[in-house]
Amino acid sequence: MNPTLGIFVIILLITLGITYWAARRTSTTADFYAADSQLTACQNGFALAGDWCSAAAFLGFTGLTALYGMDGAFYALGPLVAFCTVLFLIAEPMRNTGKYTLGDIIRSRMQTRTSLLAAIVGTVVVNFAYLMPQMAGAGVLVRLLTGISYDWAVVFVGISMIVYVAFGGMLATTWVQIVKAVLMLSAGAIILVMILSLVHFNPLTLFAETEQKYGAKYLLPGNYLKNPFDQISLGLGYTLGLAGLPHVMTRFYTVPDAKTARRSVVWVMFLAGAFFAGTTIFGLAAADFVGQDVIRAADRGGNLTLPLLAQYLGGGKGTFGGDLMLGFVAAVAVATILAVVSALTLSTSSAIAHDFYVNWVKRGLVEVKQEVWLARAAAVVIGVLAIALGILAQGVNVAVLVILAICVAASANFPVLMLSLFWRRFNTGGVVGGMAVGLVSSVALAMIGPAMRGADALWPLVNPTVVSLPLGFLGAVLGTFAWGRDEENEQRFDAFLLQVHTGVASK
Amino acid sequence: MARNVGSLEAAHASVKLLVAEKLKYLVPMTIVFMTSYIGLTILAGFAKDLMGTRLIGSLNLGFALIAFNYLLSWGLAIVYGRIAADRFDPLAARAVADIARSGEAK
Repeated sequence: MNPTLGIFVIILLITLGITYWAARRTSTTADFYAADSQLTACQNGFALAGDWCSAAAFLGFTGLTALYGMDGAFYALGPLVAFCTVLFLIAEPMRNTGKYTLGDIIRSRMQTRTSLLAAIVGTVVVNFAYLMPQMAGAGVLVRLLTGISYDWAVVFVGISMIVYVAFGGMLATTWVQIVKAVLMLSAGAIILVMILSLVHFNPLTLFAETEQKYGAKYLLPGNYLKNPFDQISLGLGYTLGLAGLPHVMTRFYTVPDAKTARRSVVWVMFLAGAFFAGTTIFGLAAADFVGQDVIRAADRGGNLTLPLLAQYLGGGKGTFGGDLMLGFVAAVAVATILAVVSALTLSTSSAIAHDFYVNWVKRGLVEVKQEVWLARAAAVVIGVLAIALGILAQGVNVAVLVILAICVAASANFPVLMLSLFWRRFNTGGVVGGMAVGLVSSVALAMIGPAMRGADALWPLVNPTVVSLPLGFLGAVLGTFAWGRDEENEQRFDAFLLQVHTGVASK
Repeated sequence: MARNVGSLEAAHASVKLLVAEKLKYLVPMTIVFMTSYIGLTILAGFAKDLMGTRLIGSLNLGFALIAFNYLLSWGLAIVYGRIAADRFDPLAARAVADIARSGEAK
């Protein structure tokens, strides 16, 4: 039996066992959306690492470093720095203020239906923009790794995530993420030790040998990101976009209080950060040992670099050790995708069931039992939609969607969230203005840029965050002033601040 | 009733103190990591030769600065944890105590 398939079947059985266990413990809305807020800082730290490291991080960073040198290392650093913003400004207020969703925070600050609707749009757009390329990536990856067809691979991933989320809710999603994070970090640690033993524990050898093979240019910036402003957009998108990604931020609702939320961020910064740093070493090692030609021949984008490196370290093609290592890394890659798409599906179904149906359409007048069933049904519908979109996306350039997801999160969700938490005068007009301007400018600029139009681009940047983020803030401020003073909202701000910083709600 | 309102106001005042204390630490810390990281991307975009300056063997300034940013992020995370526990949590507890008193007065 193919070792990838064998190892993956074991992982699948474990996650299904977890789902069965979680389903028996999931009956209330608090269970379904937030795992009853009972996780420890360490558990949530691992789950955050499982949530935040997508296949783009697990496979992509290593590939980029192997093929383009320093730019790959830049890609890997951003997602760690992003957690500084989250730790300082977002994690604790998020835990203190909301209950299950990003929409909860906007709703409790503004107490208007219009602002809640704007928050729902922000969540759903970002989640789908993120989910679709994950599904397409899953299709390509599972096909490459196991040999089943693209369409079946998408269907298989989709059905797995629907089962995890619809039956096990946040508890199952969390433990799938924890299992994946443990596997990912173990794979990383094994690969790192093997690399270091090959270079006699002197990583500088890797720099010297790759420079000798690929020239001095290899270790310089600008091989992948040619436009300097794209470098800056990437940096801004990461550092501020993470704080606007609903599927990661809702993880803070799974812990009991702000102190635990804070400690869980410190956990993820060390766990995921160590892995990100590792990918730079892995990439250099792959360029050195495996070689860029072999990497490109396997996949032009370099996405198979890490499996190939693992195979080399295990003893090479055709050996038992080589096949085992390849199988292990490939199976972890599939587990990675499952963990991320499950979180996206859960976060989107929370926005649809909790924010949209219960709080917007029904104005909160829905029984708990009924809401849980609604959320489960929403997960099924969203999962089916994601499968359909994933199949339709075959062959389409989905890279632009990944950029778009982070860009909209940074340009629309982030300004609205920040101003809601910290600006007394901010009002419903500002929420709508920030959301609309951030969203429209991100989408419009990405669509007319080189990612979509290639050489015919009307605008030079692949990633428009450097322009759309200030526009989003501007839209939020102008919207606030255009709406006029909302005295009641400004008077409520003291009570809101109390809740943001202490978690105590006062009337 | 008067005591109730008074305690609520005391709670709001405690929160204002907490926010001011948070700003005192978080603004400089945010400036440090943003300058360090966004500064790095600006250097990568506009000063490639400088980033290629060799330090030890083939290891250049760019990679050294990337490594520095990792250490800085981890360092700031630990420092934040300390400051929050030593300075922010006691002030938050005070605001909560103020609120509890206003609850008793009801």
